This record gives sequence, structure tokens and C-alpha cells, in this order.
Amino acid sequence: MRQSRFYAFVFVAPALLMLVAILGWPLLSAVLLSLQDVRSVGSEGSWVGLANYRKVLSNTAFWNASWLSIVWVVANAAVQTVLALAAALVLNQRFPGVRIARTWIILTWIVPTVVVVMIWRWLFSTSGGMINPLLIQIGIIDRPIGFFSSTWSAMATLVFINSWRWFPFIALMMLAGLTRIPSDLYEAARIDGAGTIKRFTRITWPLLAPTLGVLVIVGTLLSFNVFDIIWLLTSGGPAGGTRTLPILIYETAFKGYRLSEAATVAVLASVLLMAFAFFATRSLAKQGDER
Amino acid sequence: MRRSLTTLLTSAALLLPVSAWAAPVEITLWHMEQPPHRVERIQQLMDEFNAAHPDIVVSQEPQNWGEIYAKAPAALSAGAGPDMLFAIPDFTPILKDIGALTSVADFVTELDKKHDFLDSALESYTYDGGVWAVPLYNMSMNLWYRKSVFAEAGLEVPTTWADWKAAAEKLSSDQTYGIGLPANKQLYTDQTVYSVMANGGATEIYDENGKLRFDNPQTVAAYEFYADLQKLSPPDNTSWTWGEAESCFASKSCGMILQFSVISSYDTQAEGDANDLGVAAIPHAEGESQHNTIAYPNAVMMLSTDEAKRKASEKFVSFLLEPENYGRFLNMEPGLFMPVTADGAEAESFWNDATVQKYRSQIETVIANSGNGKLFGFTSGRVFPAIAAISAQNILAETLQAIVVGGKTAAEAVSDGQARMNEVSE
Repeated sequence: MRQSRFYAFVFVAPALLMLVAILGWPLLSAVLLSLQDVRSVGSEGSWVGLANYRKVLSNTAFWNASWLSIVWVVANAAVQTVLALAAALVLNQRFPGVRIARTWIILTWIVPTVVVVMIWRWLFSTSGGMINPLLIQIGIIDRPIGFFSSTWSAMATLVFINSWRWFPFIALMMLAGLTRIPSDLYEAARIDGAGTIKRFTRITWPLLAPTLGVLVIVGTLLSFNVFDIIWLLTSGGPAGGTRTLPILIYETAFKGYRLSEAATVAVLASVLLMAFAFFATRSLAKQGDER
Repeated sequence: MRRSLTTLLTSAALLLPVSAWAAPVEITLWHMEQPPHRVERIQQLMDEFNAAHPDIVVSQEPQNWGEIYAKAPAALSAGAGPDMLFAIPDFTPILKDIGALTSVADFVTELDKKHDFLDSALESYTYDGGVWAVPLYNMSMNLWYRKSVFAEAGLEVPTTWADWKAAAEKLSSDQTYGIGLPANKQLYTDQTVYSVMANGGATEIYDENGKLRFDNPQTVAAYEFYADLQKLSPPDNTSWTWGEAESCFASKSCGMILQFSVISSYDTQAEGDANDLGVAAIPHAEGESQHNTIAYPNAVMMLSTDEAKRKASEKFVSFLLEPENYGRFLNMEPGLFMPVTADGAEAESFWNDATVQKYRSQIETVIANSGNGKLFGFTSGRVFPAIAAISAQNILAETLQAIVVGGKTAAEAVSDGQARMNEVSE
């Protein structure tokens, strides 16, 4: 028994070492960097202990960025879940062209981010864009508006664009969950006189919940770390209104030349995400056991 | 058999040092002129240089401005940096700070005697007892408009802030924004804001002792004026970069814009009527007598510590600055890059380009305007490395956004701006 455990360790060791090298070393480097005062890439730094942590935690920019990250994640989760669920329910029906629809819905997800940004930047532009004239024509506004001009409208527009990009992917995941629900459950419910809403609340929603739980965890982690769309469209502006933690980390490291401070924010963000992932997976496992 | 083997080995032994001696010196240039036509023009010049100098092989690796601030220090630290790297003034202190630069004062003195550099171009790279890069080309901000649109509105070219605002108001209609000014937290806004500051007596960010003097009445007045004027711009100007302003002008949606050059986009995307394209100096505040502007003298830093590579790099830069080559180098983007040398400004190779000939009067105006070119943080003859962080974090633009988006008064925003500058300078 002891010998077989030894061999098991031997066989697992290469994979473990690889994991340590790939995941552990960069994380450890970030922690070590956060304990120094390195300013720019290539420059030397000295040990400062927890000074960076004290500085970051007393900086309003960090708390603002943390709050905006939460707003960003929650808003994206809400919009994407609603859109994805609606799309998944439609795609779960039988109608002509459903196979084509299931394939082409992921188009927005496979388009490169930079193309997505160019398309939406142009559509929202006040000189030559299509959205403003459309809104004027249907009488919603009387003068062109700047979608990235105020902090709240910039955040809302970014959430919309990011959700537009990601909801089809989540819809497909949900569709996979929906197709696993046995159709005879719906048949039985229909025979018992259950209407559409009751079938949804009593069968679809409870049986889809585990899939949704996993999607919430993965989606939160993915949304939290979104950098490209925000940076390319607003660079964290206007007036810091879309400066989430990833944007703050980048700005601090490569625009403010405070690499160690940026590493500190990154370590704190990682701790936050790891704590979220830990509690969320535990909660999911507990719910699974209860079921 | 043994004899032929001996002959072969002897020949090889003799040839080896010869071939080693004959190996050309290979040098690499990193630049941020990414558009394909610019890369192609640089390659043409490199091919000519390589053909004329068999002992040197120079090659290029285009980079981009978004990454280079992080990439270059990392590459140099890893010993994988280039031998030459294009720069703007606020990039140089970063590399100087990590010890990657040595002064090129002697080389610049030699070139200055031969070509006569613009003083303002040299000033931005001359501090701390050295010259840290060789100026290559200049870019200066100007006011662009259409003469026919001004004539139709009965407007003269504005020279003061009051005239400027009145003109923008008159040009504003349902179809046109009077002026296209950016209010994004981005470099373009830094440039336009500083252009207005420099015309309102707020040129100096630092005093003679190196203390920040951003928070002063002239700066506040400049921000007040800018914040007021930008209200006549498209409402999405808080996310504008250079391209949006050019498109707005090209599509006639904006009556005027501040831009380094619009010649290329006007020629290809708009009417292309050289007689109708107007360019003027940026209007100044009442009471000021001189039109100033922001000017970016771009330069090349010499990074190699290897003597042979350094000499080879110097030969290549000298080649570029020779009048017969220099004009072709500048005209990799006609109308945008202006000469920084006296003989370059007269070079046939510059003025013979078809686009330059077509827009000659505009280009002459741009060159004349650049004579009063200033760059924030590089005006007092002393450069403080913190200007790199102030510039990189776009604090001039951030201050404007505090007014335009945050609703602060100009005085509050400028006071906060100075506090931010102090914070990033620590």
C-alpha cells in the first residue's frame, strides 16, 4: 500500500511540478514584488515590507476601483444571464433553422475584441455613427448624445457591449443544461395542467440551477478580469468612471511606473477572487449534496 | 590525401579570421511608425544605407506606442533591446532613469555643426549635463479649418480666445459642431489642453527650482476657457483620440479642429482641395502677444554599449539626416513630420514630394508655427524625471475631465491636478 502511494506520488509529481512552475511561481513573484518598491520594469527595488499594502488600502482609488469592479461584475452577470437564458430557451425549441441559429449565435464571441470595439465605437459615434440618428428618428432623443460622456452612461454602455459579446457563449452552456432536462418531466407537468410559467419555475429553473451556479462562478472570474474592452473603449474614463481593478493595475504599473504598488493591487484582487471561488464552489458542492 | 587535407585545413584556418573580420555589424532600430507605408519608406532608406555600407546591416522592428513604455525597459534589462529606439521627450527620462542611456552630446554637436538643429528640438533632450537623444523630426499642433466655410460665415481667422469662441459659436448649427476638441483622458487631450495653456501664459509646469507651479491663475483661466469651448464639440469627445477629430473635420461635422496635421486624411478622405484647407496658429488669450503651440520633437536614442554597434548606429543616423535622404525620411507621412534641421527645411528631397508640393503653403505655415513650439515639462532647460509619470498618466487631460465630467470648477480641478502631479512625482 505504502509502495503504491509512493508510485502514485512519483507519477503525479511531474504534473504537480508543472503546476507549481506555471501557476505558483508567477503568483509568488507578484507577492515578492509587492513587498518591494520597484518602480519600472528593469529597475532595482528594495524591501519595504507591508508599506505598499498600507498605501494601497488607504488609497481611495483602490476602493473606487474595487466598487466599480463589483458593479461591473454584477451588472454583467445580470444582463448576460437574462439575455443568455432567453436565447437558450428560444434555441431549445424546435423551429426551422434552429441548427443554423445555434451555430451562428456564437459569432459575436468569436469576433476579435478589437473588431468588436471598432464596430461599437463607430456605431455609438456622434459623427457618422448609426445609433444616434436612429434614436433621434424614433423620437427618444432630440440631439446626439455621447454614450461615453458621463460615468454612468459609459459604464452602462460598456456592460451592454461586453454582454453582447459574451451572452451567446453562456447561452450555449445553458442550452447544454436545458437539453439534459428529461422531456418526460415537461410531458407529465403538462398532463397535470401546469402552465408555461409553472413549468419554468418548477422544472426548468431548479434543474438548470447547478449549471447556472457554475456559470456564475466562471462568469464572475472572467468578467472581473476583463481588461481589453474597457481599455480600448474608455481607458477607465471618463473621470475614472470605468476604472475597474484590472485597469487600475495596468495604469499603476505602466503609466504610473509603480510596479510594486500594481503588484500589491493584483495580489489583493487575487485574494478576493480566490476567496469568492472558494466559497462559491463550497456552496455549490453543498447544494449538490443536499440534492 | 594527407596533403590535400592539410591544404584544406590551412585554407580554412586562413579564411576563418578573414570571414570573422568581414562579418558586418548588425544593428536594429525599433520605431513606432507602424503604418505600412511608413515602414516601407524606412526600409527603402535602410536598403540604400546597407548597399552603401557593406560592413553594416541595419534592420527595423516596428513597435507601438501603447506597449513600448513597458516593453523597452524590460527588453533592455534582459539584454534583448534594440541598438536604436525612437523617442518623444517624456520617454527618454524613463530609460535614462534605469541607466540604459549614455549622452550623445558629442555626436549631436558634430551633427549640429553640419545641419543646424532647431534649438527647441534640442532643448527637450538636453538636461542633467547630457544630450540623451538625436532629434529627428518635429510635430506641432495647429488650428485647421476650411477657408470656404469661414468665408461663408463671414469669419476671419481667429487670433484671440474671444475671436475663437465667437467663431466656434457662429459655425455651430444643427449639422455642424463649431469646433472639435477632445476631452478624453488621453495623450491627444494633453496636447490640445497644453496648446491652450501655452497660449494663456501657462507654459511652465515647474518653476526654476523644480517645484510644480501648475496651480496658478493662468492655468485656471486656460482650463476655464477650454472647458467652455469644448461644449461646442460633439458630445462623445470624452472618448476621442486623434482619429475621431480628423474624421469629424473630414466629414465637415466639425468647423475647426486642433491637430498636428490633417493633410493626409483631408487629401484622401475629404475634398482634397488644397486651396480651401486653412491652417493657422492657435489663438492666444487677450493680453498675450505670441502664438504658441505644443511641439513634439521626435528623436532617436542610441542604446548599444558595443563600440562597433554604436559607431554603426551613428553612421545610420548621419545618413538619415543628410538632406538628400532626410526629406524622403520625413515624407514617410507627408505633411505630418517636419524638419528639425536648417538644411532639412530647405532640402529638395522634402519639398519635391507631390503631396508636399500640393500643400506647400500649409506646410510652410506649420513649420513657421512650430518655431514657438513648447512641450510641458521640457521648457525650462531642466527636466525632472517625474514628468514622465505626469505625462504617462495624462494628468492634464484628467484635470479637464474633472471639470467636464466631474462638474468641478476650473480652480478646484487645477488644484487637484497639482496634488495628483505631486502624488505621482513621489
